[in-house]
Amino acid sequence: MGEGVKAYICRCEGVTLSDVDKALEEGFRDIESIKRRLRIGMGPCQGRYCIPLLISYVARRLGVSPEELGYPSVRPPIEPVPAKMFLVVRKNEV
Amino acid sequence: MRYNVVVIGGGISGVSIAYFLAEKSVERVVVVESDYLGNGSTFKCAGGIRASFTSREHVVLMKKSIELWGKLAEKYGFPYKRSGYLWLIEKEEDYIKFKRIRNFHNKLGLETRFVDQDFVRDVAPTVDTSRLVTALYDPLAGKASPFKSLHALYLASKKNGVEYRVGERVTKILAGKGAILGVRTSKEEIKSEFVVVAAGAWSKDLLKTVNVDIPIQPVPHHAAITEEYDRAFDPLLVDVSTGAYTVQTSHGHVLMGVEIEEVPGAAPVVRLDFLSKLVKVWSKWLPWLMDSNILRYWVGYYVTSPDHHPILGPIEDVEGLYVATGFSGHGFMMGPVVGEEISEWIINGRPSINETKNLTLSRFKEGRLIHEQAVIG
Repeated sequence: MGEGVKAYICRCEGVTLSDVDKALEEGFRDIESIKRRLRIGMGPCQGRYCIPLLISYVARRLGVSPEELGYPSVRPPIEPVPAKMFLVVRKNEV
Repeated sequence: MRYNVVVIGGGISGVSIAYFLAEKSVERVVVVESDYLGNGSTFKCAGGIRASFTSREHVVLMKKSIELWGKLAEKYGFPYKRSGYLWLIEKEEDYIKFKRIRNFHNKLGLETRFVDQDFVRDVAPTVDTSRLVTALYDPLAGKASPFKSLHALYLASKKNGVEYRVGERVTKILAGKGAILGVRTSKEEIKSEFVVVAAGAWSKDLLKTVNVDIPIQPVPHHAAITEEYDRAFDPLLVDVSTGAYTVQTSHGHVLMGVEIEEVPGAAPVVRLDFLSKLVKVWSKWLPWLMDSNILRYWVGYYVTSPDHHPILGPIEDVEGLYVATGFSGHGFMMGPVVGEEISEWIINGRPSINETKNLTLSRFKEGRLIHEQAVIG
């Protein structure tokens, strides 16, 4: 890659591939830790676009299978929901 | 190789203990973390830090912790602010109750004080003050980023020689003739002179392997955050009538929690009625919350002890065995002082603060439970 060119892996939080490389060098070797170190996957897309890319990239860098790395915990809601929606929920409607 | 200290648990307590041991030139320290660093209660907490408690032990230890938070944040550049705690009071009877608490704080040197609506609007410009009777403000309290502070202490301690074994699980603590031998992990046996159990909710089962019973119970607590905003309010806010809290994180998210009925020991499962109660409580003070988006919701444990104080220090039946858990929802803020005190205890045979000695496991056997001195509610 050319000098000064940045490759973004997470657009919501502005995380680049060289950020991921640095986190790996610091000893963060699992997806949950890299996510929290760089905030990758913690923006509005909730990791939908960046986490699969991250898993694929880290698997290649560490020479392990993507399955071995695993997918990080998914926190509800699946996508951002206006707070007022929860006011119309009845108590036992789970 | 024989280690000097094995620390079980890579949360704020374990990492801070390892950090201070290394700072005090203790070599051959290893932290064993079964999952990833911070994955227990540390990374699920709100990041609030205060000394405005209602027992002498909590106040004295947290004051020291706050001093250390300031030094660590300056040294390593992670987000930490003394932006205060603000208790929002809307009932006259709560005012009387909180007067007693303020008096208790003032006696112990905390500058907790009642503030008026103008003050509240100044530090929390997006709060609707129309229902406010008064508010109690603790200027020494504040907030830090759990992710960034834990990672900073991890990196600094690693640089100082601490070994980290992440993804390796301790299955048994090894002891013989009343003294520690080491631990067995999912990979091998590790010999050590000292073992510190700082494994949060998992500490109870680990200590059972050496026939030590500690009275802790994991109680699920729920939290959610909105998308991020510019400055909305500086202090951590508490709604006195429900005990709900909210804090704007260093990243701008509004993080909120409120208690819902939970069974100790229950699995941490998300519940829709939590979000409903949460939005109801906080939209009372933050009307704009209705139109904000809830981004994430998660459940973590308060590892709770019978008197809501941590269990800290040596276990008298097994020489070389230490514990640091049972923080009952206050483990993150206490992290630095726990690191300082446990490292002192290991190195010099006693902690540096007198009150810390009141927190050993033996207090339950001897009936020396810690009493709240200014009971709320």
